[in-house]
Amino acid sequence: MLRRVPGPVIETHGLLKRFGRFVALDRLDLRVEPGAIGLLGPNGAGKSTLLKCLLQLHPITAGTAKLLGREVGREGREIRKRIGYTPEQDCHIPGMLGCEYVTYTAQLCGLPFEAARQRAHEMLDFVGMGQERYRKVDTYSTGMKQRLKLAQAIVHDPEVLFLDEPTNGLDPRGQVQMLDLVRRLWQEHGLTVVLSSHLLHDVERVCEHIILLARGQVLVQDSLARLKERRRGAADVVVSHRQSEVAQGFRARGWPSEVLPNGHVRVEHGAPDLMPLLDCLRSLGVAPLEIIPSPNVLEEMFVKALEGAHGPA
Amino acid sequence: MALHDIRYRHWEGRHIGVWQRRGVIAFSGLRACLQNRWTRYLVGFCWLTALVYVGLLFCIGQLLVADSIIVEWAANLNPQLQAFVRALTTWLEQHPEISVRVAQGLLFYHYATFLITAALVAVALAIPHLITRDLGSHAMVVYASKAINRFDYLVGKAGVVGGLLTLTWLGPVLASWLLGNLLAPNWNFFWHSRVPLGHAVLFILAGMAFLSVLALGVSAVSSREKATVGLYVALWLVGSALEPLGDISRPWVKQLSIRYDLQQLARVVFQPEQDLRIAQEKVPIVGEVLRGFGRRPRAPWPPAPAATTWPALAIFALLSTGVILTRTKPE
Repeated sequence: MLRRVPGPVIETHGLLKRFGRFVALDRLDLRVEPGAIGLLGPNGAGKSTLLKCLLQLHPITAGTAKLLGREVGREGREIRKRIGYTPEQDCHIPGMLGCEYVTYTAQLCGLPFEAARQRAHEMLDFVGMGQERYRKVDTYSTGMKQRLKLAQAIVHDPEVLFLDEPTNGLDPRGQVQMLDLVRRLWQEHGLTVVLSSHLLHDVERVCEHIILLARGQVLVQDSLARLKERRRGAADVVVSHRQSEVAQGFRARGWPSEVLPNGHVRVEHGAPDLMPLLDCLRSLGVAPLEIIPSPNVLEEMFVKALEGAHGPA
Repeated sequence: MALHDIRYRHWEGRHIGVWQRRGVIAFSGLRACLQNRWTRYLVGFCWLTALVYVGLLFCIGQLLVADSIIVEWAANLNPQLQAFVRALTTWLEQHPEISVRVAQGLLFYHYATFLITAALVAVALAIPHLITRDLGSHAMVVYASKAINRFDYLVGKAGVVGGLLTLTWLGPVLASWLLGNLLAPNWNFFWHSRVPLGHAVLFILAGMAFLSVLALGVSAVSSREKATVGLYVALWLVGSALEPLGDISRPWVKQLSIRYDLQQLARVVFQPEQDLRIAQEKVPIVGEVLRGFGRRPRAPWPPAPAATTWPALAIFALLSTGVILTRTKPE
């Protein structure tokens, strides 16, 4: 059954979060509609802080935030009844069996015991946990703990699910399975998913809408499809010889061009496709070995964000 | 078919109330405590002591029954004890409302204070299951992301201590009162013993509230179990060691002992010196017998120092509250 939340899921106005002098979130203005939302950015971009501010795990320094139409900080219990959260770090309760733990978290969300126990087993089935559920959580592998975290986050049937780096510590197969589960939660069951990750691949696999954060600011916010379509109108042309002549020919058309140290000719043709570039090469009588279009906006911005976080390469 | 192909279903049901959610935390913590066999032994020991006190109450009741085995047995005792039993029987017959109240008041004062040590041990066993483990395993984040707030969490955790202390302290006392009076020769014993019962419940509930706050505070000090349990035991033992120093130096040093503070609280609530005075007046031989128990004549029992007991307990509780509020922030 598909159930989707009406109206915006997250709304922030001038959301500011400071830790001492360090500004973790710099007056964010966001309006996020239901869907599979990717919160992308390098480590330290402010993704986890944003989630924690929305969940009231961190007090907000200034500004306002609304989750599911309710003001964050005022209606804590009511908001948290409707959301699920998988933190980045391990967060199990020692000594509990896996199924006990999920049942317990369901009861904390207000499910009666019988319903909680039934839901716990259903969700453990859903995340792919078999008999391991009858083992103490202290003995679980990283993959099992990640699945258990997902199960405890969805056991009370939330409307919005916040996932903080859900593929951390998983092997490639585990990553694929986890992302597939998350994707199905939105596509097949209508749970709004906010996936926070520093991995572009993870976000691209699951999300339809991207918020790219860097240094506490939103660099870009748009649908994944549009971000992938948008390109700068540039390309690297690989030719076997006559590189300078080709660059000269591009410049003659008014296109900035240069020969890169690796021998490729970079040109900014400004067109949405490569046809003008191919026409030009034909007129120059050059047969390119390869034309590498510029990366899409998302990739470029992500690289830019990474460079901002770690300094230029 | 892989297990993860199983479909997700939405849940449409009624949510339980916030008090039930607090109860879930308390019940889960209590169950974790009782998984420790030492805790189970302690609970068993406390209930065994209840049987002893039931026996004592039964004996007191049987003094009113002319041909009871107790009376027959008392006839064979040494003359001093015979006189004591006879005086007690007479007093019970003539003024049952006073004699039952006084006798049970002294008995429950003794029992409730006797179980203080058991309660302190129970708290030591409960401390790891309160906040310490949640801090160590980052489970605080899970609690903070569920439909409860910090107050709910703390109430639930206090319920863990409350539950354990009910099993080791309040429960045995209430059971001994109930069973002891059920075995009494007439139903009036229930009515006559209402004041001692009220005192016992009031004292134990106050003690439980204090110990709950203290236990939560100590439990929140560190995320390492050894550290928190060690701190609590040190607080208890060092306080007890300082107790005798209060007699020879500054009296307030005694108030550093949790056990002493609880004992003083019991005296404030029960006022056993008044019961003893009544017993000595009505049954003169009681005073003689009591004096005979010690080698040296005992100094008169001073009135309980309510003026210092409450502030001492309040200071401990305030310090604990400060630690709890500082350490139980989600991040």
